[in-house]
Amino acid sequence: MFLQQLINGLTTGSAYALIALGYTMIYGILGLINFAQGEIYMCGAFVTVLLLATGQVNFYLAFGAGMLAAAVLGVVLERVAFRPLRGFHPLVPLISAIGASIFLQSLALLLFGPNDRPFPIQFTFSTITLAGITLSTLQVALLVAALVFMGLLVAFVRYTRYGKAIVACALDRDTARLMGINVDRMVALTFLIGSALSGAAGILMAIYYNATYPRMGLLPGLKAFSAAILGGVGNIPGAILGGLLLGVAESLGAAYLSSGYKDAIAFIILILVLLIRPQGILRGRGD
Amino acid sequence: MAAYVLHLAILAGIYIILTISLNLIIGYAGQVSLGHAAFYGIGAYVSALVSLHWHFPFLLALPTAVLIAGGCGLALGLPTLRLKEDYLAIVTLGFGVIVDLIALNLEITGGPDGLVGIPAPRILGLSFRPPLLYLGLVLFAVCLTLLLTYRLVHSYHGRALKAIRDHEITAQVMGINTPAYKMAIFTLAAALAGLAGSLYAHYITFINPESFGLHTSILILSMVILGGMGSLPGSLVGAATLAVLPEMLRQFHAYQDLAYGALLVGLLIWRPEGLLGRGKLSLKFVTRKE
Repeated sequence: MFLQQLINGLTTGSAYALIALGYTMIYGILGLINFAQGEIYMCGAFVTVLLLATGQVNFYLAFGAGMLAAAVLGVVLERVAFRPLRGFHPLVPLISAIGASIFLQSLALLLFGPNDRPFPIQFTFSTITLAGITLSTLQVALLVAALVFMGLLVAFVRYTRYGKAIVACALDRDTARLMGINVDRMVALTFLIGSALSGAAGILMAIYYNATYPRMGLLPGLKAFSAAILGGVGNIPGAILGGLLLGVAESLGAAYLSSGYKDAIAFIILILVLLIRPQGILRGRGD
Repeated sequence: MAAYVLHLAILAGIYIILTISLNLIIGYAGQVSLGHAAFYGIGAYVSALVSLHWHFPFLLALPTAVLIAGGCGLALGLPTLRLKEDYLAIVTLGFGVIVDLIALNLEITGGPDGLVGIPAPRILGLSFRPPLLYLGLVLFAVCLTLLLTYRLVHSYHGRALKAIRDHEITAQVMGINTPAYKMAIFTLAAALAGLAGSLYAHYITFINPESFGLHTSILILSMVILGGMGSLPGSLVGAATLAVLPEMLRQFHAYQDLAYGALLVGLLIWRPEGLLGRGKLSLKFVTRKE
């Protein structure tokens, strides 16, 4: 029972971690909470589901298209809603992000209607019993997929020129510019990558819960932000750790405390973290 | 028709109080609260519960609601106001979700059905059930709120707040106790939202969690931005416009949230000072380039 909940928690937690990576990277480079991250997650899921529903596209292609659509949406959002407001009081882009989030959510509501859509492909998954725990291979597959994406991101940031340039911009934008880095392009790249990861998370969760709907990104988006703070904002391994921890805490809390308050757990943790250790578990850039 | 106009006027009055209170946080202290509707809801529920269960008269129920909403604001502000404004935004948003869940899950709050049969105010034997009288009551509260906030923002303390908003570190260097100021203004704003909540509950006589969710928080935020951050006349105009306009454009109801979203982004890009944010009360800070 306990281990079962742990696995369930890790599965949802991996989605939080993927979204939290986007938050943390964008916060690291711009100091902005991109409130529309949850809507990007929703967009990825919708594009994949709609493509698959046509029956003409294979799963991997649809998955890629979903991530691409999410990435493009992220870049467009940065261009339209955030770039014109760079350098203003931090309140201004923050409220703009909230506006963008509401706009996208209600746009999806108008376009796709309020009802849940099931995932068009039925995966035939078996359950395996390992040392007394029953695991569905679906959960294992989702977890592995999420971990692969995280691994790719960490490798990208550590070992490629572009990854290092993003880190440089996050550390000091002006100095990075003096070193010949095109900061605007790096910001766009950060949005691109962060949004693609959120899109992937959306698709994975659309498969896991077998439901895609316009408001699906609202709570995961907010919880992922809590995860980013829990791990230490601006800290990439921290975001992964925070996401997984939060998923587990939520799953255990729902099982052993009260399922009615499941959605509150993330925010209670958030308030506790801010109270006790505002810099997060692994020291982040927040104060 | 006349009854409908009265109804709209009362709601607009309640929204004006809410907008002014949120504007204190955003426009004067430079912080963002995305869970303002939670304090509004706390005020409404507290006022309704003490009236229904303990038969508190209105003149006692209202201050109770104001005090408890303010107390919740203080309790939430204590851990978070020392941090950067972004954190406050997300914490207040989470707080809104928590309050919503509590109202939905507790037995005493009636769950999703909410509370019914909240008595109309009765002051010195005079019942305020007739809408015209209730409008008078709401207008009195609006005037009181305006007077209080006007006096506040034009006082020493108001200038201290604006200093914090414009440059927190400089304000600190000048000897302003910034956490204490932020805490005080946040508590006051929560208390005022509680006042609005109490007025709403006793007017509508029936409340459920739906009226106090994220949607309402966003609506109040839109009212502040439309009118202009840091502008009291702006708050009046912003609140009245967004309270009345959707009623007149009923056939476009489905597009309402879409329009709010576009309004927030568009206004910030093209007119960050809002409709009335010019002149004395204008916010130079929104266009401060670094």
